[in-house]
Amino acid sequence: MTIAPERKPFIRPDGKEKVTGLGRYTADLNLTGQLHAKFRYADHPHARIVRIDTSAARALQGVFSVLTHADVPDVLYGGMVQDRRLFAKEKVRWEGDVVAAVAALTPEIAAKAAEMIAVEYEVLNPLPDFSANMGVDGPLVHEAWSDYEADDALNRAGNTLGHSSIVKGDAGTAMDTAEVVVKSRYLSDASQGAPIEPRAILAQWQGDKVTVWSSTQVPFAARSGVAHTLQLPESHVRVIVPLLGGGFGSKCDFHFEAHIAALARATRRPVKLVFSRQEEFLAPDHRREGMVIELETGVTRDGRLVSRRGRLVLDKGAYCGEGGFFAQMAAMHACGPYKIDNIDINSYLNYSTNQPSSSVRAPTAPQTCWALEQHMDEVAAAIDMDPAELRRRTLIADGDQGPTGQVFEAIGAKRTLEAALEMIGYGQDLPEDEAIGIACGWWPSFGSNSGAYVKLNGDGTGTIITGAMESGTGAVMGLPILAAEVLGMKPEDFSILYQDTDAGPWDMGSSGSQTTFNNGRAVIEAAKEVREKLLDMAAAELEANRDDLEMVDGEVRVKGSPGKTVTIVKLAESGEAILGKGSGDVPEAPEVDASACVGRLGVESFLAPQLITHAARIKLDRATGVVRVLQFAAAHDSGMIINRMGADGQVYGGVLMGIGQALSEATWFDDDGRQRNPGLLDYKLQTMSDAPQIDIRWIEIDTPNAGPKGSKGVGEPPSVPTPGAIGNAIAKLLGRHVDQLPMTPERVWAVARQVDGA
Amino acid sequence: MATYTTARTLEDAIVALAAGARVVAGGTDLVVGSRQGKNPLPDSLVGIHRLPGLNAIKQNDEGIEIGALVSHSTLVADEVIRSHYTGLADASAIVGSHATRANGTIGGNVMNASPAMDTGAPLLCLGATAKLIGPGGSRSVDLSDLWTGPGNTSAETGEILVSIHIPRPENGTGSSYVRLQYRRQMEIAVVGAGAAVTVLDGVVESAAVAITALAPTIHRVPEAEAILEGSDGGSSAVARAASAAAAAARPIGDVRASVDYRRAMAEVITRRAIETALARATGQMLAIPASESTYGS
Amino acid sequence: MYPITLEVNGILYPLEVDAHASLLHTVRDKVGLTGSKEGCDDSECGACMMLIDGRPVNSCSYLAVQADGSAITTIEGLTSDDELTPLQTAFLTEGGVQCGFCTPGMLISATSLLASNPDPTPDEVRIALSGNLCRCTGYDGIVKAVIGVASRAKD
Repeated sequence: MTIAPERKPFIRPDGKEKVTGLGRYTADLNLTGQLHAKFRYADHPHARIVRIDTSAARALQGVFSVLTHADVPDVLYGGMVQDRRLFAKEKVRWEGDVVAAVAALTPEIAAKAAEMIAVEYEVLNPLPDFSANMGVDGPLVHEAWSDYEADDALNRAGNTLGHSSIVKGDAGTAMDTAEVVVKSRYLSDASQGAPIEPRAILAQWQGDKVTVWSSTQVPFAARSGVAHTLQLPESHVRVIVPLLGGGFGSKCDFHFEAHIAALARATRRPVKLVFSRQEEFLAPDHRREGMVIELETGVTRDGRLVSRRGRLVLDKGAYCGEGGFFAQMAAMHACGPYKIDNIDINSYLNYSTNQPSSSVRAPTAPQTCWALEQHMDEVAAAIDMDPAELRRRTLIADGDQGPTGQVFEAIGAKRTLEAALEMIGYGQDLPEDEAIGIACGWWPSFGSNSGAYVKLNGDGTGTIITGAMESGTGAVMGLPILAAEVLGMKPEDFSILYQDTDAGPWDMGSSGSQTTFNNGRAVIEAAKEVREKLLDMAAAELEANRDDLEMVDGEVRVKGSPGKTVTIVKLAESGEAILGKGSGDVPEAPEVDASACVGRLGVESFLAPQLITHAARIKLDRATGVVRVLQFAAAHDSGMIINRMGADGQVYGGVLMGIGQALSEATWFDDDGRQRNPGLLDYKLQTMSDAPQIDIRWIEIDTPNAGPKGSKGVGEPPSVPTPGAIGNAIAKLLGRHVDQLPMTPERVWAVARQVDGA
Repeated sequence: MATYTTARTLEDAIVALAAGARVVAGGTDLVVGSRQGKNPLPDSLVGIHRLPGLNAIKQNDEGIEIGALVSHSTLVADEVIRSHYTGLADASAIVGSHATRANGTIGGNVMNASPAMDTGAPLLCLGATAKLIGPGGSRSVDLSDLWTGPGNTSAETGEILVSIHIPRPENGTGSSYVRLQYRRQMEIAVVGAGAAVTVLDGVVESAAVAITALAPTIHRVPEAEAILEGSDGGSSAVARAASAAAAAARPIGDVRASVDYRRAMAEVITRRAIETALARATGQMLAIPASESTYGS
Repeated sequence: MYPITLEVNGILYPLEVDAHASLLHTVRDKVGLTGSKEGCDDSECGACMMLIDGRPVNSCSYLAVQADGSAITTIEGLTSDDELTPLQTAFLTEGGVQCGFCTPGMLISATSLLASNPDPTPDEVRIALSGNLCRCTGYDGIVKAVIGVASRAKD
């Protein structure tokens, strides 16, 4: 193990504007003459649109424009399936489908006009039960969808838009001959990213070009979406993201930018949209997917996992968006970071008339891991083995093969286990209403193209121009650390120009925990180009051999000749262009032989996998079912850590989000698929008084084929094993696992009552 | 067009109320409720937050008088409330968030007549009355007569609540309020219960038990009280009283809890409230708020 | 419309507002200070918190007409010059700020807490700031920042 060099605490460059209230988020911006937008949403979760009459709304004083599908190009869009239009045309498929949009002088007039739009429907039976409606014979959410463009690997059938399997060896025979077999079935409800900033968009046209300010995590995807749906060249669309008030995946994907751009074009005025909290729950096509998870494991009495079978069903909701790979991702999490001899997992991603699910912090993983890790504890109990010991014997180690034959190198799974056990005090005597639960998990890093420029200013300071996106995690804020190291400068010497599609190179955005992983590499490459230029200039200035030069403390020096130096300031003030650009080589996931698997969508191999063990000490009020998390330990292998404060921040926040998903956060749908709790009173985020002490340990391994300096991603894994660890702690006290997520007080109480025979 | 006046005197307020205005003080029930879509903000509002003389807690031989504008944070910090009217302190300590407690008033809480209000059960158990002043003069109303349904009171048009009066508890009295809470803060009662008991020489002389969020209004449970009175306050009597409270509950099922769970919790939470009140009656210092100190008991 | 005078961060603003206008919208749209945020509009998140005569208030659920004549402090008023307050600095050095959307309300609550309780226990901090939801930080850095400032003030 190598030790990371000591780095002093780094205050984020956007910190001062954030603590003084002077920073601007999208909703804080206003343009002269701006109008206000409001959407008309579907009146039924599933209905055929017979007629839309906007005449009364248009006639209302103060209304400037009312748009429906008839007013925009008839274009389908979508990430892996092109299944959606800006405005619903033939059908509405969930309660948040946008039927029309209004621009008016005030938000109040816009809201009134939206209500005055008369929509005539032929109401259809809603299809909210995503596991019951997957057959090919029943009613379809998308009747014409065999004509849609889609990724060929999705294996479409009926309402199933994706089927992925993981097959290794002969799971059936191995199960039949296993010494002990354990079967479990778990259900997970939907949940939400729930950033504290509801989304906002402001659009303004200048000539035939539009600028869109948007609270998106993915400005380049937003630009592509606007260009595609409004049939514009991308060069005519500029997306700028002011400060972003959190996203957690829910602001990934192209969403409402084109609606607002279309309204602004129609009215020849700037148009602004600000979501209410209720809309932030109801309208985005991003929430965490509900799942049915069935697992079966064959095991020897000494803890060898000889067979794993599984059947997973995921709720995709009405549209695919970017989430087409979820079936395969869930299947990988039903295996987990374990050595298993034989595997047969089938995973189905189904359309329903519920709100679409899509990326929310480690999509599919927390709920699948919650099921698997509780199942692992059941397996341990069945062979009378301590749950930690079973994991000790089965977690992958260097040289082991994963479920798809991937061979892992330099992997810290077992070390995370031991670290978490030590931090939580595993095995200690506890009061009878307390228990410790553990869970292990994993999550891949995502390689992607990314680019950056670095330029030096006349006074010797630098500017990093990047396409990367800062959603609050500090990933972009940490980029100056990397540039400064290459150039022998200080991080505070750099400004950052970011979140503007006309400035920075294309970037995947704040998704997939990929910013440091990919854009960090790009910034280092760009800084290296600047370094080369500076060395050339200094060699001429100092009349020295280029190879004898070093860059330290803002100077270029001749090694061993203390007097022979030239400052970067001096070189920069010459006015000569000192520019660097970079992207670097994208690390690729290792080749694996997954030829027996169907629905291969790219996650059968985990690039630079992150390994995690979480341990929770909880207290259970058995009479009420109310659980409190008293202490939490999180041990992570995310490779080398570049920005410790930023990385720790991801764990603190991710764990708390995981605790919420474990205990209190769920979107409850009624029988028709309408949300019953679209507000923060009944969608319960954890408060400061609920948050436990969280201890963190990083297992720093200089990881090959990974991000800069041997780093991996950081942002998503902290939520992955959290619900599982809590679930296992609860089960120790109850004597039985709670098989529904979240494990609300009422659900915990119900299990306690069954166990106690009341 | 919405209208608003700031009342500078009680007469201002009564005139405005008689003309159909609604009172707004801290805004934590009325305005928050409108934002949550329960009821739109009334067209006509009268702000009473600047009325003089309504924000004091006064103690006399008969008991205590709490001005309508006294905030929850003032109540929970008051030593007399904490020591003699402890159930009210239990409730005020857990209303909403610290900002709700700093602005929300006892008067607003009482007049909002929510079946889930935290202060309601302890006020009922402690025998509180409301003093209303209107065009026809002033009158005192038992809270059980004041609350007629969710959001409804028996106050006449033009009447304003000026104070809450609670008689001085007998020696040997302890009181409590316990709420089922999923989170430690920012909760609305899913089930709550209050109790006040007077214990003399090991015998429960008098008992009051009230349940919250289990019926259209918060109400006392005479069946539970009858079981406790004359008993030794032991676990058997407490269990039977708690069971009587659950039997008296008429819970609804909604997104927060099912009917079955609410009824079961009515028993658990009532038991805890009674146990806490008994313990306090016999001199044990159980921490405020009781919802915290009885967690897991 | 009602004529009111709001004293915001020491400056008097004569304004005309609708009887139903919230203090938050009035300060953001008419006074022009956008540091206070709207995260929920029903007092559940605390991003809009301001001090009114020293009391922490969810300004989304407080009527502007009621604030007539009161002294209001917003996030922009915590410091009047380029120097940050110890709490603002501690939020940054302890990792109490990520996306920053909850930060204005959080700082207002923390300022209010330390004014009334200069030496809070960690649990008192957690209770007093529970009305401010944060989705990024897990609250850890915020608690450390408040406790750190309180104990430094004691020394």
